Amino acid sequence: MAGDFNTESMLDMYLFENSQLLEQLQETVLEQKDADCFDEDSINEIFRTMHTIKGSSGIMMFDNITAVSHKLEDVFFYLRESHPDNVPHVELVEHVLEVEDFISNEMEKIRGGEPADGDATDIIADLDKFLNKIKNGGAGGEGGPAVENVHEEPKHFYIAPVASAASRFYKIFIHFFPETEMANVHAYKTVYALKEIAEDILYSPEDLLTDEKCGETIIKEGFRILLQAQCSEEEVRELIGVGYDIEKVDVFECDANQFLLGFDFGDTEPLPQIDLESSVEVIEAKQEAAAQAGEAKAEEKKPETPKITPGDFVIQSKEPGRQKKLAKDKPKGEKAAFISVNVSKMDQLMDLIGELVISESVVLQSSDLKVPGLNLDNFNKAAAQLASISTDLQNVIMSMRMVPLTNTFQKMNRIVFDVSRKLGKDIEFVMVGDSTEVDKNIIEHISDPLMHLVRNAVDHGIESNEERAASGKTEKGKVTLSAKTEAGKVWISVEDNGTGLDREKILAKARKQGILEDNKPDSAYNDKEVYQFITLPGFSTNEQVTEYSGRGVGMDVVVQNIQAIGGALEIESTPGKGSIMSLKIPLTLAIIDGIVMEVGTSSFVMETGVIKQFIRVKEDMMIHEPNGDEFVMIRGDCFPVIRLGNWYGLEEYQESVEDGVMLILEVEDRKICLLVDKLVGEQEIVVKPIPSYIKKVKGLSGCTQLGDGSIALILDAPGLVE
Amino acid sequence: MDEMMNTGVGSADTQEGKYMTFKSGSEYFGLEIQYVQQIIQFQAITKIPETEDYIKGLINLRGKIVPVVDVRVRFKQGECEYNDKTCILVIVVKDTTVGLIVEQIAEVAEIQKENILPPPTIGRNDKGHHKYVYGIAKVGNSVKLLLDPEKLLYDDENVDGDSAKMEEEE
Repeated sequence: MAGDFNTESMLDMYLFENSQLLEQLQETVLEQKDADCFDEDSINEIFRTMHTIKGSSGIMMFDNITAVSHKLEDVFFYLRESHPDNVPHVELVEHVLEVEDFISNEMEKIRGGEPADGDATDIIADLDKFLNKIKNGGAGGEGGPAVENVHEEPKHFYIAPVASAASRFYKIFIHFFPETEMANVHAYKTVYALKEIAEDILYSPEDLLTDEKCGETIIKEGFRILLQAQCSEEEVRELIGVGYDIEKVDVFECDANQFLLGFDFGDTEPLPQIDLESSVEVIEAKQEAAAQAGEAKAEEKKPETPKITPGDFVIQSKEPGRQKKLAKDKPKGEKAAFISVNVSKMDQLMDLIGELVISESVVLQSSDLKVPGLNLDNFNKAAAQLASISTDLQNVIMSMRMVPLTNTFQKMNRIVFDVSRKLGKDIEFVMVGDSTEVDKNIIEHISDPLMHLVRNAVDHGIESNEERAASGKTEKGKVTLSAKTEAGKVWISVEDNGTGLDREKILAKARKQGILEDNKPDSAYNDKEVYQFITLPGFSTNEQVTEYSGRGVGMDVVVQNIQAIGGALEIESTPGKGSIMSLKIPLTLAIIDGIVMEVGTSSFVMETGVIKQFIRVKEDMMIHEPNGDEFVMIRGDCFPVIRLGNWYGLEEYQESVEDGVMLILEVEDRKICLLVDKLVGEQEIVVKPIPSYIKKVKGLSGCTQLGDGSIALILDAPGLVE
Repeated sequence: MDEMMNTGVGSADTQEGKYMTFKSGSEYFGLEIQYVQQIIQFQAITKIPETEDYIKGLINLRGKIVPVVDVRVRFKQGECEYNDKTCILVIVVKDTTVGLIVEQIAEVAEIQKENILPPPTIGRNDKGHHKYVYGIAKVGNSVKLLLDPEKLLYDDENVDGDSAKMEEEE
């Protein structure tokens, strides 16, 4: 990239736009992966996407991305121009996804400040092979290169727009003086002038603004324009003008048919010099030009009447990206309603609102108001109004952080496709409730676990096609990914209609690994307990290690990740019918329900979910070990005790257990008792991280502001249990 | 309210050569003003268990949670009672915001480069506090010890050993 001027914002824009394009591309491709072939709209869309990416990558000088997108563009150009019949669709889908992966990967590198150095040659070679294959296989055995098809195809397209009888067709050749610098810019100027009158305009070389080399080509070979307009030759000449830069202008009027032939004038061309030029023209340039022509044609086909305004072409040749959005008129309205905001600004706003709420309570509970004899009726009315507004504000900012799961689900779609293809399974993927909204932080955390569950479902949930047939299952293998909100939690479940979990197999394995208690019979474990075994580290019932699963790492990581964000995994399964893995996760990480308590002069908060019970204990229930460890007997159960004050070396805490309160905490089936001085109350807590300047303290997961502006530390139950 | 002064965002030129000076123990210290974000009155601090003794805890700076360091303890001058002269100097060093508890704020002093001397190396090998002081400045008749804020915040070497005595510097 040019280091001289600031490309940073350009780069940001490049990455942002292209990643959106790629996301859309993937969506389009996956939508139609099960069809026999892409429909025309999709082909056009993929073609345009590639064209845009090629263009912008060219500007940013990421050559490998440019090359790959160019190649895929070629393939889709051929598809849409020649409509070959027997295209191996799935193979095509794979190629597109491969290119998409490559570009995403490179963009990830660029984003990380590394050079985009991925090697695209393999992919390009594959695409070449594929292109040749469909050319030779389809398209009526022409066998020739794509350019030959172009000569015939345009006729079909052009019959409609030529309806206007007043239109005249011109071939224009412009020769610039050899010493002209930046002839491409001069050429563009001419084209721009002609667009004023043009109903249709094509020119070669077409990549005037982005390809600096074409200036030389123009000087050497001349600049050629095909123009359809309702004006006389003189007018055309006048518009082009003969200035200091243009040596000679030839304008030939021709008929529509000749016009349609494009730049390859062939036998009909009276001027031998032109013939010569087109014969030496490299194939690629022809394809480019034809691509441009194709694009123009596609555009014209849609409106059906020849009322293509010149403006369309201006946009198209300059910024194909924008053109694309215009063409996709359906989501246009929605698109305009979104702006992207820097997350740090959102965080700032949330902090400010949190602060507002706190200062509000400081004002409303001010000691000045407690003077006897004040008439506060009006004040209280206004205060109630203020309180309701600030509550609304809080809700709005929380909802702004909510993001639909659509993108995450879309990724899973891709995984199902990849894995099922590799394993040769025929699988239908259904998404339900993908518009369910979840806090952005949470989305980042569930993507990996979800991917794992989906992969598992495809890999060993669903049987192979043969097994399915053998067990008499007639329906297709089906994986359903669904999401719903219920009682302040989000449920995301991955359901398959495969074999289900094998209880006996899991039990046998568990017995072998010594997880089961020796004297407990298998039947003493209920299904739920048995299924939970698969979430233990190193537990896999799959005898064969495949590329995707079977190594026994995975489910435990899934469970860990889910627990890290305060969620849980539930497993249901019916033998022979399939299984359902459900993730239960909180809507947001930023706010938790917590119990506020005090120890000495410090306040602490503990998440409500892990507290099983509050209890006052008597001194005689305590058991003291000689080494200082303490236990408490509560209703016949013995729990280890942590005195929070002692643990953290706090001052002025209650020494006697009888003056304090015991909290029984339960984390992953382990229970401990925590002794604190007193409970303050339950409230919603806005979680903030402890500043990184302070080293991590075991058992603390964050801090929060209480209603009076003071700070309370949030206790991390799993950390304490350890 | 809490704010006594906001230094605001001045251009680099106007901040050049200006130092926020404060008293700790019997000495005056100076910090380049560009690091100082604001000065607030002393306020209640939430203690954090299991941290270094000089990290006193957290304060709530208008919704932002900021750790505070007691400069006296950091300089091994021993703790002292906080009173109404005690201030918290909020500094930002490399995107880390930290509050410094100082006994008393003195003034914003303009110090010319030629008046800054490297700290004397004679006497004992008292790295205990040389590492924070990168220069000694003369302002009128008084002497200010100029602090390197980064070294002030982070312990990169072992502090244990001979604890520095402030009197050595004069």
